[in-house]
Amino acid sequence: MNRFLTAESVVVVLVLVTTLVAIIARRRRLPYTVTLVVIGLLIAIPTSLELEATPDLILAIFVPPLVFEAAFHLDLRQLRENLTPILLLAVPGVLLTTLLVGGMTALGAGMAFGTAVVFGALIAATDPVAVVSLFRALGVPRQLALTVEGESLFNDGTAIVVFRIAVAAALTGVFEPLTGLTDFLRIALGGIGVGLVLGWITAQLVARLEDRLTVTSLTTILAFGSYVAAEYFHVSGVLAVVVAGLLCGNVGMAGASPSTKIMIFNLWEYLAFLANSLVFLLIGLSVDLTLLWDNLGAMVVAVVAVVGSRAIVVYGFSWLARLWGKTSRIPSSWRHVLFWGGLRGAISLALVLSLPVAMPARRELQAMTFGVVLFTLLAQGTTIQLLLERLGLTERSPQWVARETRLGRLFATQAGLRRLEQMHRDGMLPDEMWAGLREGYRQDQQQVVQEIKQLFHEHAELEGEMLFQARREALKAERGALWDALRRNILSDPVYERLSTDIDHRLEALDLIYSATHERPSVGEEG
Amino acid sequence: MGPIVCATRGGEAGRRTQERAIALAKERGAELVFLCVFDPSLAGQLNDALGAAVEMEQQWLGRALLGTAQARAQKEAVGTNAVVLIGPVLETIEGFLRQVDASALIIGEPKTSSALAAFHPGKVHHFAERVRQNTGVDVLVVSPEE
Repeated sequence: MNRFLTAESVVVVLVLVTTLVAIIARRRRLPYTVTLVVIGLLIAIPTSLELEATPDLILAIFVPPLVFEAAFHLDLRQLRENLTPILLLAVPGVLLTTLLVGGMTALGAGMAFGTAVVFGALIAATDPVAVVSLFRALGVPRQLALTVEGESLFNDGTAIVVFRIAVAAALTGVFEPLTGLTDFLRIALGGIGVGLVLGWITAQLVARLEDRLTVTSLTTILAFGSYVAAEYFHVSGVLAVVVAGLLCGNVGMAGASPSTKIMIFNLWEYLAFLANSLVFLLIGLSVDLTLLWDNLGAMVVAVVAVVGSRAIVVYGFSWLARLWGKTSRIPSSWRHVLFWGGLRGAISLALVLSLPVAMPARRELQAMTFGVVLFTLLAQGTTIQLLLERLGLTERSPQWVARETRLGRLFATQAGLRRLEQMHRDGMLPDEMWAGLREGYRQDQQQVVQEIKQLFHEHAELEGEMLFQARREALKAERGALWDALRRNILSDPVYERLSTDIDHRLEALDLIYSATHERPSVGEEG
Repeated sequence: MGPIVCATRGGEAGRRTQERAIALAKERGAELVFLCVFDPSLAGQLNDALGAAVEMEQQWLGRALLGTAQARAQKEAVGTNAVVLIGPVLETIEGFLRQVDASALIIGEPKTSSALAAFHPGKVHHFAERVRQNTGVDVLVVSPEE
């Protein structure tokens, strides 16, 4: 088999493994990324994988999809409202984390300071994927979720720039603070500049083109192209992708048709999933159990350093943010969430995988990164819900849960009744049995309906919630009906696009009204 | 006698405010108007297409909400009208009371306070007093205990 076919076979097998793990994790309710790492470790027991790809290639393949997807979905208008705390945590916060973690691991694990700083930089980027999905499920305040997402997006950019400078310094043994600072500014600002130019051009093209396949191709070119272009000019590829993604997602997509939006969102969701999965699997494959055992002490030091420095950075910069004014203030309950929700993930793993072979203590750094990511996923990721509930940051009140429980019972009862009716129609259920079973189900149904009515009577605020939910469901059903009509050729493309764009605007408007009335109650809330 | 106006927009105090208004209209044999006012500032911050969608959706939600209130009144055999308006909340309510020559306004007092709320427990009574002075209309505030 030639080299290309061998490489292709490896990719196919890796994707197959991630898919199988996804199926198993979902069925068994296991944490997906942790399962991927464990499976990777098990596969690697006979022989661990030594990646042949160059460090630059690893970053160029994995970083654009991970970062572009997040930037593309972030609302620029909402981001501006929280920009001060986000930038404080993502820029000086990352620099301080790098130094603190570097210092602590150098002292605690007896590592050379230069090498420890490389670890500090690569571990500085937070990865809140698991936390953010939990935020959505629990109805955590939108601004808090946005701060966590925004910080993660920008600290990826900062951390990678610092990482590059730190690796160069560790390899050459030379580091001039002033040169380091000017390099940092040049690389960061250059990357932002490349992202602005390419993102703006693509956004203008996307806004003018109607063909969804062409538009989707343009986003792909932008994500990978902005990275490559920035790297060509020796500036930050990741910051270029961040800025390009923000511009394209907010400016370019504003006038895009619903079918284009669906296609692009699905594509980037998939690419980000694939990149995330492969990074976790590859780290499992690259690290062997002996290495982990040999570096257990260093891993513990790394975990303590990362958690400790996160506390200093979050609480310290939150205090500083107050000086910027009222809008920059981070409520104290949010600080605890920002601290404990600072999980580490794919970017740190991609960075450690990208370390050049000549890097001192490369294997030790892999083990430490692995340990930190695993700890944050298992210890922090699994307890953050408890913290949110303790802090009263979940909007799911007991009455809300009670309503959901009753709705669930109602749906289940109705489904049971429909199935029995079908069995009766198919002749599987005799008339008398059908009558008896139907009566039982109808009584259950009436009981639940009565309970829901009573709940609404006791907690009138649930009515408002129900109104929004019902309207949202109805609009989605309307959109589904239009899609169905398009497929059956009852509607032409232009008419479908116009009508479904209108529904999309209505859905977006509904979310905005919901957020506004829930965060800024006015007359109606009280009356 | 002018109509009784019940200003409502759902929420925690919505139902008891509506029920109190229905009972009062029945007792007095007066016409009942459910009024829902949305602040236009949200739509004003958005681009044209989304701003228009927000206004349309506010109108839609208002009609649905008031339709529910009207169904409640109908059960009690009370005739009602429903009006959804978009404008600065306090001024729009005052303007509407003058326009229909209302005999009374009914609003609800929430259980919990919010610093950003236009009508948190302290402010609702302040607003009621202001309406009484500016329009001469009798204002009834439905408290959480009712």
